[in-house]
Amino acid sequence: MNFKAILAILLCKLLRAVSRLLHRGGTAMPGRFALKVCPDLLARLSKDVKTVVITGTNGKTTSARIVEQAFREQGFDYFANRSGANLLDGVTTEFVMNCTLGGKMKKSRAVIECDEAAAVKVFPQLRPQIVVVTNLFRDQLDRYGEVTHTLGNIRTALEAVPEATVCVNADCSLCSSLALSLPNRVVYFGIEQGAVPSRAKPELSDATHCIRCKTEYEYDYITYGHLGGFRCPKCGYARRGADYAVTDVIEQRANGTTAAVSIRGEKRVVEINLPALYNVYNAIGALAASMEAGVGREEAVRALASFQCGFGRMEAFRLGKADVRMMLVKNPAGCNQVIDYLENLHNRFVLAIFLNDRGADGTDISWIWDAEFERLNALAGRIEKVIVSGDRAQDMRVRLKYAGVEDKNITVERDYETLVTSLEGLETDVCLMPTYTAMLELRSVMIRHCGGAEFWE
Amino acid sequence: MELKICHLYPDVLNLYGDGGNIRCLQKRLIWRGLGAEVTRMPLGAKSSLAGYDLVFIGGGQDFEQQVLLDDLHRGRDSEIRAAVEDGVVFLTICGGYQMMGHYYETFDGKRCDFIGALDLCTIGAKKRMIGNYKFECTPSAGGSVVVGFENHSGRTMLGSGLEPLGRVLSGYGNNGEDGTEGAHWKNVFGTYSHGPLLPKNPQFCDMLLLTALGRKYGLTELQPLDDAAERAAHDEMCARI
Repeated sequence: MNFKAILAILLCKLLRAVSRLLHRGGTAMPGRFALKVCPDLLARLSKDVKTVVITGTNGKTTSARIVEQAFREQGFDYFANRSGANLLDGVTTEFVMNCTLGGKMKKSRAVIECDEAAAVKVFPQLRPQIVVVTNLFRDQLDRYGEVTHTLGNIRTALEAVPEATVCVNADCSLCSSLALSLPNRVVYFGIEQGAVPSRAKPELSDATHCIRCKTEYEYDYITYGHLGGFRCPKCGYARRGADYAVTDVIEQRANGTTAAVSIRGEKRVVEINLPALYNVYNAIGALAASMEAGVGREEAVRALASFQCGFGRMEAFRLGKADVRMMLVKNPAGCNQVIDYLENLHNRFVLAIFLNDRGADGTDISWIWDAEFERLNALAGRIEKVIVSGDRAQDMRVRLKYAGVEDKNITVERDYETLVTSLEGLETDVCLMPTYTAMLELRSVMIRHCGGAEFWE
Repeated sequence: MELKICHLYPDVLNLYGDGGNIRCLQKRLIWRGLGAEVTRMPLGAKSSLAGYDLVFIGGGQDFEQQVLLDDLHRGRDSEIRAAVEDGVVFLTICGGYQMMGHYYETFDGKRCDFIGALDLCTIGAKKRMIGNYKFECTPSAGGSVVVGFENHSGRTMLGSGLEPLGRVLSGYGNNGEDGTEGAHWKNVFGTYSHGPLLPKNPQFCDMLLLTALGRKYGLTELQPLDDAAERAAHDEMCARI
């Protein structure tokens, strides 16, 4: 370590300590200043650390938690950026917090989630051992632009690290196209035909036309969104068989899933400790990454049953007599998956949607019109009450009105404290659907009411 | 009474919650006891555009633009020009709005020929114009204040005989320079206000419906609806920006 690097490390650690004294997260800011002093600080620190990096539109955090659990089951010594600070500055902060003042890393491995737009800056410095690309969907167009642009970013990032093994979602025609042009070793994960009932082609798809020749794809099956058995009738680009494959989703429950998987040809039945189909994707992707990183098969399988995610991702709370689930929503594909989950619930529930439009949420809220809230109509008998909240509560109210929810049955409640207090007396289940910044605030309130840890703890 | 609504290219021009506008047109007819028949006309559809009262064209990604232009130039463009001359109501947004003009010239000088139904053209710029914005419609377009979200790098210039849809109150509009937003020609309404433009701007939506119903049935007035939710969403954003 040279003088600049040492200075940057000192500065970063100091700023972090001050942030914590002021009861702030200090997850990104210290790294930002450290990088100003020493722009290649992350490259210097990560040189001897074997890193699994998870990127893609949805499922980064959950996948990272599963890989972490697999590392624990295996007894690997590692650290992770658990706070959700997933840009270059946040990742750098995390590395500094795990090194000595002299710049020596205390751990030999890391599990890092990385924003898909930040990958271009992060990968070349981090030089990951394994990269997982979970999926690509339209997301916060004001921040990311078109989905093909995000794909291009990830491709550029991977070009800088040809030695990394890339685990891609075989069912996503966008992600899996990365293998067409990259020299990297590629491992595929996915859900096989017949594992879940095939969906009809959605009205809205983020990848209708072949990424190579722009001919319309044909599908053997669709799991959700544009994911499934795609094939281009003209140029022959098609889904590749998955090395880590879900062959049968045996049972989907309110709190988990049982599935049959094939791990490089070997059949197993696994328990996944979170509900909903999108978490089946997260599970199989994380299983692939863990095993490619050196975790044993038994340990990796055990991790699927034992991991805890929290942090607003299907996070469970007990509030008075009410069972509460907090389900982060940020784009149509993820939101539709949460609606799938609601459809599979048996109990009556209160639904509260929190729509913010701050920087981290995306300032453009038009995505709520792409999500299939119309499907709530079929659940009307089981929805006890609908509450809308957040900066754009009124827009959410209008969305639900046009989806068919009667306006008189929608309550607008902006104050989180009042809202959560009103939930305390309930005996039904509660489903909370916040956008990212709303989730951070709402979690603080929930934690005050139920106990738990702040996001940086 | 019934309106036949055509959603043109819903498979590729659907980037920003554009389906919300179709739902809004449909619901506001149904709530008044009027009929609404919505037809999706995707890429490659062989059916004719004739017989529709209202055509909606949304915004899309650059990725599919070439496939779209191929389809357009196989005769759809002349059909659109004929429908415009015939007084059919068009709501065109963002990419769909640009497409109604003569051409789009990219930042590095490549030109795509469009429909040419409206005397406007669009030049790509480096800087994207992104954010919540509002504009006041011209009296001939109903005069309401519309609040929306824009996200475009194209700068649109109107020909001298073409009226804008409105004047920008806050934000960029057509090009961020001349204060104009959108275009209004015959019964064509073009705007950069993407996504859920109509749900939050019920007055603007009703103006479109009445224009189409007036043309078809001579209707001069619409039955009022309870717009408490819509107005709350509209007024709150209007006050914020």
